[in-house]
Amino acid sequence: MRIVVNGEEAGTKEKGCALCGATWGGWYEEVEGERLFFCCHVCAREFINMLNKLKQATGWDRVDELVINGDYYRGRNCEARHGERSLSFYVKFGEDAEVTTFRILSENH
Amino acid sequence: MPICPACEIKLDSWRSVTDHMSERAQRSDPAHVMWLNRNLSLREMTKEELEERLEAFFSGELKPWIISRFIEKFYGEKPHPFMVAMQNPSREVLLGYVIEHQHFLVNWVRILSKIVYETEELPVIRYELGNITTEFVGTESSPAHYELLLRMGESLGMKREKILSTPPLKGTVEAINTWRKLSQRHWVETMAAMHSLELVAHKNLRRYGARIHYFNERILDSQDFPEAVKNFLREGYEADQYHAEEALDLVERYAVDQERVKVTVLKSFDAFSKYLLSRLERAWSLEAEVIA
Ligand SMILES: [Zn+2]
Ligand SMILES: [Zn+2]
Repeated sequence: MRIVVNGEEAGTKEKGCALCGATWGGWYEEVEGERLFFCCHVCAREFINMLNKLKQATGWDRVDELVINGDYYRGRNCEARHGERSLSFYVKFGEDAEVTTFRILSENH
Repeated sequence: MPICPACEIKLDSWRSVTDHMSERAQRSDPAHVMWLNRNLSLREMTKEELEERLEAFFSGELKPWIISRFIEKFYGEKPHPFMVAMQNPSREVLLGYVIEHQHFLVNWVRILSKIVYETEELPVIRYELGNITTEFVGTESSPAHYELLLRMGESLGMKREKILSTPPLKGTVEAINTWRKLSQRHWVETMAAMHSLELVAHKNLRRYGARIHYFNERILDSQDFPEAVKNFLREGYEADQYHAEEALDLVERYAVDQERVKVTVLKSFDAFSKYLLSRLERAWSLEAEVIA
């Protein structure tokens, strides 16, 4: 999966956390067969919960590309791609890393 | 005295705080990593750089420090989305404001009462009771902000009973819980945590570098908004700057542990940001109701 966070590729220690883009810490999680880097386990949980929500909303079995823009203060506007299909959504998390808001902005699938 | 802004352990120097924080960050401890991400940098730093940045971050007199941090978080390069929405607010955005804010205001006066209970300083007691009066009780000549808020909601077509019976969204509940936790601290810290939030409507914040005002001031003279909306916004516009400034002067006067006050204020700002997003989310769900 190609991941872009606030304009920069992410998902490795060098490039940054797959959810927030930070290079602090060193938490790894296997997601869709790939070993992704996160700054902490909260970001990892949030990422996985968001991905599950996305798959649930679209019926996709995998995600090819995920572009995330935003942060804790603004919430996150995302664009996900699966082959030719795409979905734009806004996501926000609660204090237990759960998805509290998942708002579909536009869809093409 | 140097303090870890994440877990609040006190240490003898910023060097020791740096050692402690980088050790926690290396272990991916969420509280420490998040604090660094939100306040200093997303990019991992060397210990030398981190020490320098930490010390610089926490230096400065309390009141201007709080004002600067508030502007950075809410009115900086990327203003908070709620403030952006308030530049040209829809009916739903204003109603989102009303519904979530009633819960904020009730909690607000409950926490101010805690300050009154804890402090022995008469100027503080007087100040807080004055604030409770303007925000919640009102006087014969000027209705409370709480009442003006409800009238704003009514003027936008929502019944008072409907407003009062709508429970807060999760983000609002989480923020309120954070503030209630912060109210267990020394009353000066609680005061700083709460009243620094009144900077949000401060008329002169742009003088200190804010990019935009809380709302588009043309609304106050516009024919496109009901009188009750203008009355509510005008009240905050006129009152909150004195509220916030006066309270921060008192905080500065009575604060003993400056660093702890600063750390507390940052926690309150993070809760506030989450709360403001709830107002927007409420607006979205109202929009969805209209469409459906
Ligand atoms: Zn992260
Ligand atoms: Zn710590």
